[in-house]
Amino acid sequence: MPKITIDNKAYAFEGQPKLLQFCLDHGVELPHFCYHPALSVPANCRQCLVEVGMPVRDRETGEIARNDDGEPIIRWGPKMTTSCSVDMADGMAVRTHRSSELVEQAQKDNLEFLLINHPLDCPICDQAGHCPLQNQTYKYGPEGSRFEFRKVQKPKKVVLGPRVMLDGERCINCTRCTRFTDEVSKSHQLTIIERGVKNYPMTPPGEVFDDPYSMNVIDICPVGALTSIDFRFRARIWEMSSAPSITVTNARGANCSYWVRDNLVLRITPRANPHINDYWLPDEDRATYPRFNEQRPDGPRIRGDEGLQPADWETAYARASELLGAADGSNILFLGSPYATVEDNYLLCKLAAALGASPPAYIPHIEPGAGDGWLITDDKTPNAEGCRRLGVHPVDPALVRARLEAGEIAALYALEDDPVASGLFQREEIQDIPVVLHTYHTTNETLAAADVALPAAMVVETVGSYVSEDGHAQRVWPAKAIRGVNRTLRMEMGVSRLDSHGTPFDRWHNAANQVHCKPSWEMLPNIARGLGLEWADASPKEIMREIAQHIGAFEGATYENMGSSGVRLTEIGTLA
Amino acid sequence: MSDFIKHPVVSLPDRAPEPVFSKKELVFTEAEKEQIETFRAQYPTPESAVMKTLWLAQEKFGFLPPEVIRLAADTLGIPFSLAYGVATFYTQYYKAQQGKYVLDVCTCFSCQLCGGYDMVRYLEEKLDIREGETTEDGLFTIQGVECLGACGTAPMLQVTNGPYVHNLSREKLDALIDALKAGKKPPFVSVTLPQDEDDLGGNRRSDAEATEVGQTPPAAETFE
Amino acid sequence: MEMALFGDNGSGKTDAWRSYERVLLPPVRDLHRFDTYVGHGGYEALRAVLTREEWTPGKVIEATKASGLRGRGGAGFPTGLKWSFMPPVEPGKPRYIACNGDESEPGTFKDRQLMEYNPHLVFEGILIAAWAMQIDATYLYVRGEYADWIRHMESELAMLYDKGYAGKRILGTDFSSDIVIHKGAGAYICGEETSLLESVEGKRAYPRIKPPFPAQKGLWGCPTTVNNVETLACAPLIINRGAEWFAGVGAEKHPGPVLYGISGHVERPGVYEYPTGMLITDLIEKVAGGVRGGKKLKAIVPGGASVPVLRADMIEGVTMDAESLREAGSMMGTAGMLVMDEDTDMVKFLRRVTRFYHHESCGQCTPCREGTGWIENLVTRIDEGQGTLRDLDILLELCDQMEGRTVCALADAAAWPVRNTIQRFREEFEAKCRQSIYAVA
Ligand SMILES: Cc1cc2nc3c(=O)[nH]c(=O)nc-3n(C[C@H](O)[C@H](O)[C@H](O)COP(=O)(O)O)c2cc1C
Ligand code: SF4
Ligand code: SF4
Ligand code: FES
Ligand code: FES
Repeated sequence: MPKITIDNKAYAFEGQPKLLQFCLDHGVELPHFCYHPALSVPANCRQCLVEVGMPVRDRETGEIARNDDGEPIIRWGPKMTTSCSVDMADGMAVRTHRSSELVEQAQKDNLEFLLINHPLDCPICDQAGHCPLQNQTYKYGPEGSRFEFRKVQKPKKVVLGPRVMLDGERCINCTRCTRFTDEVSKSHQLTIIERGVKNYPMTPPGEVFDDPYSMNVIDICPVGALTSIDFRFRARIWEMSSAPSITVTNARGANCSYWVRDNLVLRITPRANPHINDYWLPDEDRATYPRFNEQRPDGPRIRGDEGLQPADWETAYARASELLGAADGSNILFLGSPYATVEDNYLLCKLAAALGASPPAYIPHIEPGAGDGWLITDDKTPNAEGCRRLGVHPVDPALVRARLEAGEIAALYALEDDPVASGLFQREEIQDIPVVLHTYHTTNETLAAADVALPAAMVVETVGSYVSEDGHAQRVWPAKAIRGVNRTLRMEMGVSRLDSHGTPFDRWHNAANQVHCKPSWEMLPNIARGLGLEWADASPKEIMREIAQHIGAFEGATYENMGSSGVRLTEIGTLA
Repeated sequence: MSDFIKHPVVSLPDRAPEPVFSKKELVFTEAEKEQIETFRAQYPTPESAVMKTLWLAQEKFGFLPPEVIRLAADTLGIPFSLAYGVATFYTQYYKAQQGKYVLDVCTCFSCQLCGGYDMVRYLEEKLDIREGETTEDGLFTIQGVECLGACGTAPMLQVTNGPYVHNLSREKLDALIDALKAGKKPPFVSVTLPQDEDDLGGNRRSDAEATEVGQTPPAAETFE
Repeated sequence: MEMALFGDNGSGKTDAWRSYERVLLPPVRDLHRFDTYVGHGGYEALRAVLTREEWTPGKVIEATKASGLRGRGGAGFPTGLKWSFMPPVEPGKPRYIACNGDESEPGTFKDRQLMEYNPHLVFEGILIAAWAMQIDATYLYVRGEYADWIRHMESELAMLYDKGYAGKRILGTDFSSDIVIHKGAGAYICGEETSLLESVEGKRAYPRIKPPFPAQKGLWGCPTTVNNVETLACAPLIINRGAEWFAGVGAEKHPGPVLYGISGHVERPGVYEYPTGMLITDLIEKVAGGVRGGKKLKAIVPGGASVPVLRADMIEGVTMDAESLREAGSMMGTAGMLVMDEDTDMVKFLRRVTRFYHHESCGQCTPCREGTGWIENLVTRIDEGQGTLRDLDILLELCDQMEGRTVCALADAAAWPVRNTIQRFREEFEAKCRQSIYAVA
């Protein structure tokens, strides 16, 4: 295998990686700004300079010339080279700042240049705390500035589009944003304008930066030049904690991080997953965070004479079991949910089977034409594929109607969806169903008919798995705490503390805004036990292990296998 | 170029500008479209024809307000942002309305040392505007520009991306302004090679409208 | 006839140049017209390479190598060698020449006169190079300011197509090659070879990182060779008169006829054609009529704004060729020589030069975008009497911080004049500086 020497240490490599990427992949940190693994390489920031040399070869024999110690003699390049643009070659030798004063000085010099026209307004900049320019200046930058002239003034607070704002002075002209719109989203809505030190990115006049993927430029901007209009000044980065998860806006299963302060989700950013979304997230996936904070329930409720009344969990479970137990199993309609996890749907299937009911069906939420063939799908739910693999199929409204009219629906168990709002039942019709048990995320239209209303944890609060449209099974970690959480049961939560910052605002320290709800995988066993079934409490991890063992469509889908980037499941059609 | 380092302010272009040209005006004629087609045919990609198309548009409309840049982009079927980025990169594309005659006076080093700035200052005084400004009657704009590739006849200027005027002096500027006011653009001048003077007794082109030869430059008085 | 002018001793230190007969701009009336050009043997070199067996493409490249021709665009790279970098012809993969007529280097004005007075020599050179490298199309990049010259050339080029000298089946042979004139629009950086490629592709002209070099990935990702117009204009001469003849003209290691553009404080500025290797003193005194008004010479910039300035006392015996100028501490560049008399204020001169680079930096890379402005600020402050000796040190340090650290050589070109002007005229700069706490004697 070809070899390369970096700071006198040998590494083997395959293929023809770019030097910077290889270094980053091997723990050799190098400061850099313009390079992004998913974009073309303009090598314009000049921050990643290193010394590169090649072994001297004997002209005649082609043999590598060696010194007395048997070490290859290296001919170093006349100038430093940007590591981001260097194709690695066998025998190449590299000196980074760790072994070269020249490189160390060059890094300082370059940062000094980057800062002379930079406003240095970190105290009021959203990027502060996770700013590559700030971080790298601390690590590699010069001590002070020798620049004693007027800084170039550029437009600030420019609303580029509905979601993105520009501060031209902070921009370091790395062109990541324009490369993104040219090469990745291909909306071509941004361009660098002007020339030289006057350069900055802008939309052409009259155009609005409303690219459905516009907010990705905020993530990749290495400074605070591009900020989120929504998130601006909402929180400092070090006040939040984040958890790895996926977005539930559609069926793509794009990986994300949920950023939380005081148990409120404040923003959603992409998490890299080469199998699904690379580094990107559509804007609509990010826009949905208020749904985790607003109109959330406050504990279980039971219908009494005066409508839905608060109850404690034990009472609510008992009431649910009682109502279900009174109905003939074959007359119970179980509605699963493509919003709920595989584990939750699975437990519902088990319950249905135990009571002799038909398998649950789910209400599809498809918006034909909404998808873009990339990260936005027509399906607006995260787990329809998971449902199908469990044998939970789209509901047949005609059949439901027929059963309703025939008086064959004695009870309805509606899991984490809104059958009324989605049009499966009219408001009046659902009143005709004698028993309605409902687990729900946020205040909805079905609640009016519920006999027992059980607030359910959402993706940001639970542990569970989802299967994307193309069969990628992924698990999520809780990003925030809910009231009275059973931490032992949720061993998984321990793992979720891969927070980027320890903060007094994070979920363990702070009881504020904890929603009073429970995950369905905790509620269902309680209801089952109330029906006389012998269900033990099981963690989602255990439930998933069971699913992976027993259901062919989930073969291999254990938490261990899913890790943080999921597993691709076998196509259902190819299963025996 | 005005003194940028003294006033290093980059302003925001109007992001929702009122169009200067009406929808009716904002079209290319069939002949122009054909011309643009031939530009396109000269390159493997339509993007490449953007510079020539912008030139054509500028010649037609006088300058390139956003709607004209967009028209050029649309005609080629390329992104507006690309055409706009290009238009702002190159200094000869006028993004704003200029005087009828733009006097691009070279102040780069050969001209500087031979009185380029004297010429700028003289024009400023004469036209009562400053570098970068346009006279109230809309006739003249003065710009100090970088080397125009005619250092042998310094100091010199170019009129609106067109003819060069060589071996400038105050008298020559007076005459130029008078001529331009009368609507007379300077002719194309062939600069005679000194060796041709010796070998051929003058300019080698029999079709030359006007000729001139590099003169011993005057001593400059101002340098910035 | 004009054999081995200086070839025997490889230097222009004799008076032989006086009998030099021009070949790039021979004294022929109306040579710019197709008919006149053809009437004087024009396009015979092209006909020769296209029709004579012995002129295989490889042979043309060999001859170019043997001629010793080095690029006239500034870098002085051996032209034949550059041509040989083109990869073998691959079916379906077009090959291009980008001919550089951007000529924006301050102090340079020779390409304009060449394009005006002998455009067909340029076209013929392009077509010979096109044959040598089996080129599909040549983009002749001419700066937008040369609008009038572009018009003239366009009409001559149309004539060329009409007569079958360009385009399809040139001169009735199987060889086809197009020439397209691309008009710039005001950006010095477009003269940099990869920036030029971007500009032809219709983009903001940001220079590209190298490697890959244009020969591997040039225009639209295809093999491309970039040559200056004057460089290519030498090709017909090499074919007509032979590589040995060419190699024998002027300086041994940097031979050939060359267009000197002399400007500034001389009696008779202009473009002169002479062999390379002329004594700088001869060019000033004997060719350009001496420093104006009998003033004393103070300094020269031998080849455009980017090359280091030479003090009058540094040019004794120095000739205009790469080797001699390197020894003297400068470069040949574009052979556009700026002459400065004793009254010249070198601080003001440098101030203007730094302003040029600040204005023309494409702004893509950090050290150049930021450094050029900082430098202009510092030199301006010094010129205005507000600078300190420390500023001079910072200036020199900034040169270190820029040189060799950018995508293209503009940053180097911006740093060299600063470094050299300060080093070579330090007293003048110090005299303008305020005394500061750093001014420890
Ligand atoms: C900043 C910069 C500007 C340049 N400008 C020109 C120019 O205007 N004309 C030119 O022929 N070469 C120019 N060059 C040199 C070209 O990059 C290139 O070396 C040359 O065109 C190659 O042609 P040659 O080998 O025939 O000289 C410039 C180089 C740099 C770095
Ligand atoms: S706005 Fe940000 S991403 Fe865009 S060029 Fe500037 S620094 Fe780079
Ligand atoms: S060195 Fe200057 S001109 Fe060249 S690419 Fe970098 S910023 Fe542009
Ligand atoms: S990361 Fe290599 S130059 Fe910017
Ligand atoms: S410096 Fe004025 S034309 Fe060259």
